[in-house]
Amino acid sequence: MMKGDQVKDTFQRWRDTREEDLNPEDYQLFRDLGSACLARGDSAQLLEFVQDEKNQGIVKCMGCVIMAPLVDEVVKKVTSAEPCQAAIVYLTRTCRSEELLHGLLELIEDINPGDISQTIIVLVPHFKTVLLRMEDRKATSVGLVLAALQKQMQRLPVPYTPQQEEADEYGLCRCCIALLQFTKCFVEEVKRKHGKSVTTTEDEELRTELLKFCMRSLREPLLEVELSHNRKSYLWLFATEIMVTLSTIQVSLSELLFFYNSLKKSTAMDNSQSMESRASLAYLLFVQLITIDSFPAVFSPIFVLQCNMEYVSELLSSKKESHLLKGLALNAKSLESVQDHSLPVNLMELKSFYSVPQKLRQVLTECPMKHLRESALQVFQLFVNKLDTEAKHKFFRCMLKVSNHAGVESYIIKNIKNHLEFSMESGNANKWFLGEEFLSLLGLVLHLPHGAETDLLNSMDRIMESLNLLRYLLIRDKNLWSNRDVWEELGRMKDEYLKMLRVCLSISRAYYSAELKALKEDQKLKAKEAREAARSIRLSKSIKAKHEEVSDMSPEVQHQVLQSALVTFDLMESLIVRIEEITEEKLKIPN
Amino acid sequence: MRHNDMLFMVLILLTHKQMTTDQDLPMDSQSATAMFAAKGLDVTPNKDQGVIKIVKCPGLGAEQPMIGDRVTVHYTGKLLTGKTFDCSRDRKEPFCFNVGRGQVLKAWDICVLSMQKGEACTLLCKPDYAYGPPGNPDKIPPNSSVIFEMELVNFEGELLTDDSGIMRRIKVKGDGYTNPNDGASVDVHLEGRCAGRLFDCRDVSFIVGEAEDRGIPLGVDRAMDKMQRGEHCVLYLKPKYAFGSEGSAVYKIGPDEDVVYEVILKDFQRAKESWEMDLKEKLEIFVGVKHKGNQYFKAGRYLQAVIQYQRIVSWFEMECGTGLEQQKKIQECLLTAHLNLALCFLRLKEFSQVVDNCNKVIECDESNEKALYRRGEARLLRNEFNLARADFQQVLLVNPSNRAARAQISICQTKIKEHHEQDKRTYANMFKKFAERDAKVCCNSKLLSRKGL
Repeated sequence: MMKGDQVKDTFQRWRDTREEDLNPEDYQLFRDLGSACLARGDSAQLLEFVQDEKNQGIVKCMGCVIMAPLVDEVVKKVTSAEPCQAAIVYLTRTCRSEELLHGLLELIEDINPGDISQTIIVLVPHFKTVLLRMEDRKATSVGLVLAALQKQMQRLPVPYTPQQEEADEYGLCRCCIALLQFTKCFVEEVKRKHGKSVTTTEDEELRTELLKFCMRSLREPLLEVELSHNRKSYLWLFATEIMVTLSTIQVSLSELLFFYNSLKKSTAMDNSQSMESRASLAYLLFVQLITIDSFPAVFSPIFVLQCNMEYVSELLSSKKESHLLKGLALNAKSLESVQDHSLPVNLMELKSFYSVPQKLRQVLTECPMKHLRESALQVFQLFVNKLDTEAKHKFFRCMLKVSNHAGVESYIIKNIKNHLEFSMESGNANKWFLGEEFLSLLGLVLHLPHGAETDLLNSMDRIMESLNLLRYLLIRDKNLWSNRDVWEELGRMKDEYLKMLRVCLSISRAYYSAELKALKEDQKLKAKEAREAARSIRLSKSIKAKHEEVSDMSPEVQHQVLQSALVTFDLMESLIVRIEEITEEKLKIPN
Repeated sequence: MRHNDMLFMVLILLTHKQMTTDQDLPMDSQSATAMFAAKGLDVTPNKDQGVIKIVKCPGLGAEQPMIGDRVTVHYTGKLLTGKTFDCSRDRKEPFCFNVGRGQVLKAWDICVLSMQKGEACTLLCKPDYAYGPPGNPDKIPPNSSVIFEMELVNFEGELLTDDSGIMRRIKVKGDGYTNPNDGASVDVHLEGRCAGRLFDCRDVSFIVGEAEDRGIPLGVDRAMDKMQRGEHCVLYLKPKYAFGSEGSAVYKIGPDEDVVYEVILKDFQRAKESWEMDLKEKLEIFVGVKHKGNQYFKAGRYLQAVIQYQRIVSWFEMECGTGLEQQKKIQECLLTAHLNLALCFLRLKEFSQVVDNCNKVIECDESNEKALYRRGEARLLRNEFNLARADFQQVLLVNPSNRAARAQISICQTKIKEHHEQDKRTYANMFKKFAERDAKVCCNSKLLSRKGL
């Protein structure tokens, strides 16, 4: 290490040297000296040096290099950081802004994962000072800084519970607030200039950079965050400010959400990212009602739904809980504002009106989280309620064809029965449920996927529901039907179905009885086969999935399972018998 | 008469800008209707006084927006109490939408179509034409009539594609809601004009996606799935969607000419939806559609070929199939379609689409030689030389005797080198100082480390 005199000589030499003549060694040396000074805990001395009138030449050209050790000191808070802070402030006002920016960006780039939030919070005000001093390329630089800061913030975990948000252990909330403070003056600048008739490309660029910042914020962290009306947390504040910023910089939310294709795409974002950002925007606007007051109130609810379905579809494609929750909430909210029985069949031609129900079905049958399954079921029913009669008819047909899940199918059949009931009330008659068209729907209901070899236990929910529907059809007045042919065809379909079902039942019953017998005869030998049967039973679970584990069943339980299968068959049989009785009774009553 | 005049005065007071919150001039729906009916015009088609318009300032010229046009308006919405519930001027931005499409309140669609450019008017809307029985939470009470002041700032035709290549203006709206989809058969009447000269006028039937076969340009074909039965519209086509840089000898159209088609969709029969067909059916028509696509490809009609291959993708991408054999068949169909799409997009210079399609193939079959090669080509043309080189190297791993890939790798290498040098030149001036400094620092630290410091 250099001695005191040597240092003094060096400083003197630097004072006498022109900037062009300084060597890289000099820069390195200055940095080393600065670091050494800080390491000794002598930050006050460093501050004094930096502020000294006669050192201004040195500071102006080489000051940037001691920025990194200074920031490090402040972040670590090893000693009293005040002189360091003061030195940083001094440097940001003295050194060349381009070099400072470069240096600070490098600091952000090389951030230590443990110090992300602390470093960001320390640096943000200084970035602001530097940027405000810049004369040209300011907009681009603002963009660079925001992108760099947000890239680091993406590495911070998003709080999951309110308590975590409150504690803000990793500092995400504090970073968000710091970012808001940072952007504020630039937003103001755009706002101020917008009133003027002449806007330069620089102004336009600043606006674009701020728009990009908002879009990135909407996606990350806001898409991950769980917000609540009742809890005006920091992240809520952040969300609100982002929405307000968008309208302040004259970005029309309706254009962004509903007419994105006709918008000039100045934001260089790939499509899926911008889709996520806009989905998040739709959620904040329509579900959390942030800035809804300044949103045009003249869109028709069906149009809003139609546009939001795209976003719902995007959100439901995710496996993340926060995305699914938002998708379901947005879907429910957009459906609620539409009147019942009002969605026309042509909407079903839109891709999103096909994909959203399919994704709901996926959540219902595959999602491990109960609360999501429950709200998905509610949304699914809400969707059905909003369809008009023809649309319901088409939707039910479509679901019965593609859903491949007995639980979902039974739910659809239950809905068919409900709508049939609705159609039979006076004034609601229609050809889709009381005319020829109904036959195509009924054909799909009265259908055993593998004929006589259908696994009855697997399709139990569906079969019981279809028998229930048949019983309901038969006890109602046949004069409700638009014509006699339909009624006769209906009878023929019923006979065919019951016939097939009976064959199927006798095969199944024989199989399970044999199985039960075998079990009784030799439990040990047949344990394996029983496990197979058990597995098929496990598949038969309906939407409301039960949680028991069935693969390691004891022989007693196996016995019970087989027994209950047989009871199920009895139940089906008795329903069939009941239907046949009703048919006969109806025959006896003359028209 | 006198009574009406007085009412009108009240109306003017009521709708006047400054008066926004006063509760002292409440109006009931009946007297409002009487007032508007006296001075204004019922613009509803069935004359039920659901929307009554009073023109405050007539427009310039006689031109009116047509259905589907993108219109720009300024508006203020008020309750009968005089309370403003929504105002575009408060937001300092005009409001845009496509008129006649059900995007906005019924009253708006009706009224705007009756306006002229620059016209300012006031309209009274009954609930059925506005917010209906539910109203709008926090803003409009249930079953309210509302008043809008509106000014039609501008309008222009509706753009049917992202690249503004097809613009449509609807003369007569069609019936119902359904549109002909790809594969549907349509009966149309069409009149084609180029610079005012009628070059084609006929009744013709064709299959959507295959209009080319009947000498009908792509633009008309692509507009079909936006039209309804009975619709009469005018399509303004850019050359890409008309006769391109070749022009048309038959119609005596030169290269790169814009053309205008007037089309009436007389009737159509929709093709079956993906979910309406079972796997067997899909596999049966797959061959025909693929063949059609290949024909277009050979003829250099890449956009038309894309339509055919995309139909295949739409059928099979949601199909899961049961059993290994079925799944294998589905995958085969999808792979063929994606590979062909990649090739079409390569010719069309839509490189990101090439990469997407190749990625789909590589997802299922990571050693697919064609997909890797095509992705490499696309990346090379996108100046992603390193990625391209990696793809071609992968091709060689799959098939060491692929000489074309070998040649491509050397092209990549040359390009990478060229690029480096170009980069250097470009940035040389910009970063001269930094570069020098860095070089020295680098030297220095090496020296230092050599000295063991």
